[in-house]
Amino acid sequence: MNQKDDIQNLADEEMMHLVQEGNPRAFELLYDRHGGPAFSLAYRMVGDRVTAEDVSQEAFLSIWRSKARYQADRGSVRTWVLGIVHHRAIDALRRNLVHDKRRSSAEGIEERFEAKETTPGEAARREEARSVRSALEELPDEQTRVIELAYFGGFSHSQIADMLEMPIGTVKGRMRLGLDKLRRSLAGVAA
Amino acid sequence: MSVERHRAQEENVGAYLLSALTEIEERAFEKHLEDCPICQDEVDRLRPAVHALPRSIDPVNPPKALKTSLMATVKADAREAAEEARRHSMTRRLRERISGLNDALTGMRPGVAWVAASIVLLTGVLAGASGLYAISDVSSGDDRLQSETVAAKVDKTRVPNGSGSLVVPADARDGAVLRVHGLPTLENDSVYQVWLKRGSEVISQSTFTVGEDGEGAAAVTDNLESADAVMITRERAPRAKAPTENAILRVRL
Repeated sequence: MNQKDDIQNLADEEMMHLVQEGNPRAFELLYDRHGGPAFSLAYRMVGDRVTAEDVSQEAFLSIWRSKARYQADRGSVRTWVLGIVHHRAIDALRRNLVHDKRRSSAEGIEERFEAKETTPGEAARREEARSVRSALEELPDEQTRVIELAYFGGFSHSQIADMLEMPIGTVKGRMRLGLDKLRRSLAGVAA
Repeated sequence: MSVERHRAQEENVGAYLLSALTEIEERAFEKHLEDCPICQDEVDRLRPAVHALPRSIDPVNPPKALKTSLMATVKADAREAAEEARRHSMTRRLRERISGLNDALTGMRPGVAWVAASIVLLTGVLAGASGLYAISDVSSGDDRLQSETVAAKVDKTRVPNGSGSLVVPADARDGAVLRVHGLPTLENDSVYQVWLKRGSEVISQSTFTVGEDGEGAAAVTDNLESADAVMITRERAPRAKAPTENAILRVRL
């Protein structure tokens, strides 16, 4: 088995050791495995492909150049990468880099660019998305709304309170309650 | 920890996990977390729900150019790192050789010593194409008394009118001055930040802003010897710990 095959078979955690040592091939594998979900998240948040590309590029280059330490006890590599992308996208949103483009059309544009179900991996991701969305839809609308505005919109609690004309305490309370219900729903526990 | 303080922070758990706190609130909450096992447990309990949110998105194909561009940068970085390691190794070997030469020259007649020293230095120069670079720190003469100006490469997609240059003094250990032109003025909460790249390290140097004419200057305070590049990024004031974007301007050394 050659080196390329060896790397292909590495678990994510082992692959991250090689990325931190500056191995370009391991970094390419990291991108191949997680670049799609990372771009999807960035695109969902900023609403246009060019900014989503910038955000994804900055996130992956920060992983490469800072030799950021992945900590297995804080979640999977996928979760860790998506966390970095999420923070970069929020930075972009809060710097007003995307202005009116932001979230201009989560659906219309996605329809044009969405991935075709050409691989079992993509089909599985689509199925997983349906399942998590179904859990989100079980939440009361007002809880879903504050969670989506915060997580995907990059809005702060005070901005959300202004938008929805409700006290900050109510916004914070709905965020926490919504997350709790979502966690229970995903875990298959009755809320 | 008082009950009041805990209650005041407890309601922030959801907003914290959703990144909906301001930076000041986030720092205060994280400080509170260090001493509050109740909030730590609550954060750990709710975190899986936040981690599930990006999984609710249907996959969207990234453009192929994204991978191409990323890998080009990554491979260039890797080549630079390898080249840097080679230069360090060559410089170290040459220093060792010169140190040995100093010992050997002791007691030689001046003419013989000059010929011997020239042979050893010439060997170093011929050792490789970058040998000249590697031994520049041991050369002597008038060239060391003059400064050098190196033009910057600018990302014209983000700063279309930008330009800049780095004025490196005769002794690169003294740092340098970076001058820029045509950069846009930034919002009040943002600054231009200067970074020095050395191998895998990226070291903050200084921050600056530009006037309405787009002109500005900043100091590069670190030793430039063995540095790979000087870069500028746009960061939130007062300064960032690490670059948060690709460089808008880069001077390769």
